[in-house]
Amino acid sequence: MSHSSDRHTHDLERQLAEAKATIDALLSGEIDAVVDSESKTPVMLADAQHALRESEERYRRIVETADEGIAIVDAAGTVSFANRRLAELFGYRIAEIVGAPLLKFVPAGGEAIAARRLARSHEGISEEEEVVYRRRDGSELRTLLRTSPIRDADGQFVGTLGMLTDRTSYRVAEEALRKSEAQYRQIVEATSDGIVQLDDGHLVVFVNGRLAEMLGYDAGEMIGRDFLGFVSPAAQTTFMSALASRKRGGREPVETIYRHRDGTDVSVSVAGAAIFDGEGRFAGTLGLVRDVTERNKLQAQLMVSDRMASIGTLAAGVAHEINNPLAAVIANLDFIIESLSGIVHGTTASPAPARPASWLCGEIRGPIDDAREAARRMRFIVRDLKVFSHAPSDDVRAPVDVRALMDSSLRMAENEIRHRAHVVKQYGPVPPVDANEARIGQVFLNLLVNAAQALPAGHAERNRIIVRIRLAGDQVVIEVSDTGPGIPPEVVGRIFDAFFTTKPVGVGTGLGLAISHRIVTDMGGALTVESTVGKGTTFRVSLPVTPAAVVEAARPEEEATVEKVHGRILLVDDEPMLLRVLERVLALDHDVVSVGSASEAQSLLARGDTFDLILCDLMMPNMTGMELHAELSRTAPEQASRMIFLSGGAFTAAAQEFLADPSRERIEKPFDMLNLRATIQRHLQARA
Amino acid sequence: MRLRLYIAGNAPNSLHAIANLRAICETHFPASHELEIVDLLAHPQRGLVDGIIVTPTLLKVHPLPVQRMVGSLGDTKQVLLTLAGT
Repeated sequence: MSHSSDRHTHDLERQLAEAKATIDALLSGEIDAVVDSESKTPVMLADAQHALRESEERYRRIVETADEGIAIVDAAGTVSFANRRLAELFGYRIAEIVGAPLLKFVPAGGEAIAARRLARSHEGISEEEEVVYRRRDGSELRTLLRTSPIRDADGQFVGTLGMLTDRTSYRVAEEALRKSEAQYRQIVEATSDGIVQLDDGHLVVFVNGRLAEMLGYDAGEMIGRDFLGFVSPAAQTTFMSALASRKRGGREPVETIYRHRDGTDVSVSVAGAAIFDGEGRFAGTLGLVRDVTERNKLQAQLMVSDRMASIGTLAAGVAHEINNPLAAVIANLDFIIESLSGIVHGTTASPAPARPASWLCGEIRGPIDDAREAARRMRFIVRDLKVFSHAPSDDVRAPVDVRALMDSSLRMAENEIRHRAHVVKQYGPVPPVDANEARIGQVFLNLLVNAAQALPAGHAERNRIIVRIRLAGDQVVIEVSDTGPGIPPEVVGRIFDAFFTTKPVGVGTGLGLAISHRIVTDMGGALTVESTVGKGTTFRVSLPVTPAAVVEAARPEEEATVEKVHGRILLVDDEPMLLRVLERVLALDHDVVSVGSASEAQSLLARGDTFDLILCDLMMPNMTGMELHAELSRTAPEQASRMIFLSGGAFTAAAQEFLADPSRERIEKPFDMLNLRATIQRHLQARA
Repeated sequence: MRLRLYIAGNAPNSLHAIANLRAICETHFPASHELEIVDLLAHPQRGLVDGIIVTPTLLKVHPLPVQRMVGSLGDTKQVLLTLAGT
């Protein structure tokens, strides 16, 4: 028995050792499957463990990477789990949170509320509300808390799951957004530009205060209305085509006219862009509107000051131009006077008293002709000057012969050009252009002076200024080219900008080209530039040809007078020198009465004296020729109709208006005697 | 020497046990062993005879006495001692 007992013991020991080894293997995870004691089939161990592990891992990752703070509070109110985010939010380490009572993180006074919340969870209530916690540093942590009760397999309440979203950073972001919006709103409202947003059907979505003010409305009144209603009827076509261009992505500014509530026009410059929605569909337009009424006024003023500057620049040149012929006139007249007194007093040695008549013809005729030629040159210079000195309000457009005008401009700029270049003129036959002579003259002058200033002084033989005039379709093209250093490409684009200048301070105003550009554009023409560095620059003006109907037949300068008509002429001028010479010349053919003022003429005529012609100065002190005309029109209309006005330049608006009447005859000063006689003859014959 | 290894399909410990056992046999008993591998998932009733309760389990069927060992058989020294019957 002892043997069997030994064997039994040995068996038990072996089985125990095997069981122990099996448990060890189980614990060290070396077992795959266990044979179920009832079903006698293997149950995979690893599968279950692995799946559990994976599932746990998945949840752990979610919990650890969650943007929410996650905690579990047990039934006793102790935190039994906290994720990393929660620790971050609370400002503690996880180990410091887990095991601590929840109340540790509740700010003073909030304990009762927290306890009631846990109690509701115990009752099975899930909820969501804003809750404030206290961080380790004592600061407030605003959260959005969601709670849900946790129950075990038997349905027993074991704790509460809490998920916290940080509202502090939410609020900061909200606040930042609100601030940034407020900032934009401030900018939008404070800007001096009008801002408008239109939808895809040009209804107003938004206007800022400035635009509403520009148009005389409250912003609220404009919203929802068709913007076309705020556009001047004359500009609505422009508005629609600008809108169509925006839709295609166009951003170029448009000059247009809006309509103020009171019906007046508001000149504006609008920069705009299309708005596209998230899917790239056209959703409307945004416009930045600038009131340019003031700018336009300013520009007009600048144009005048530029003209004054041009004249100032040229004054020295003009003085020089006049001085030469003037010196010739004085010297020749002095010579003639000396010679004549020599004849009379016999003080000169050479001319014998025996031959005065032939000597006069032979010797004095030369100096007299020279003096007259010199005077004639001065007349041209003065006429050129008059072209440039028209009143700034003079917007009258008339057929202009650009070739004659260019010649005038060349003479004016002669002093600037002479030392720097020789001028090559290439004029083709061109019809007149429809323009304002004074302003186009200003442009020509500007281009010529610019061309000259592009060239170094002192090498006139090497450099050229080429002036070409030709016809291209219905445009007359005027080109002014120089052989200067050219304009770098980076500068060419800005050359027509106001105040842009490459000249040293004091030499140029930086306005010349900007204003020239404006003048030419205003007249329906174009001013462009082409430049090659090292070769030179060409400015090109194109101006529309005058429509054929408007071209007046040029009046013949002189008429062949077959038969001289004798007349009775009244001369009225406040300049005694002019009065004397006119009397001297006209007395040869006519009966002449001369007076030095309009009032004298008036009293003469009031006494019933009548004349075939009245030559009257336009501008006189006390009473002007215009006033005399008005007076006569009332008292002696027949005599009023016989007035011819002598004008040295219509410098006032009233004078311009007066002479614009085609029934008013005028003779421009200075005049030559041949023309004066012809004009008088023409009038006398017409009235005979 | 006749050996019988009970496994459970492709479970990791079973695969380890097969690999470990083959390596030991080829190293120490290259010409004198006979190895039978029994997949309990495919033949659950086969384990009843030998009283198998977990896999992997190695049985030395011959020569007697029968010896058994559980686990992935990673400890070569322990496997050799078991097979030697000590």
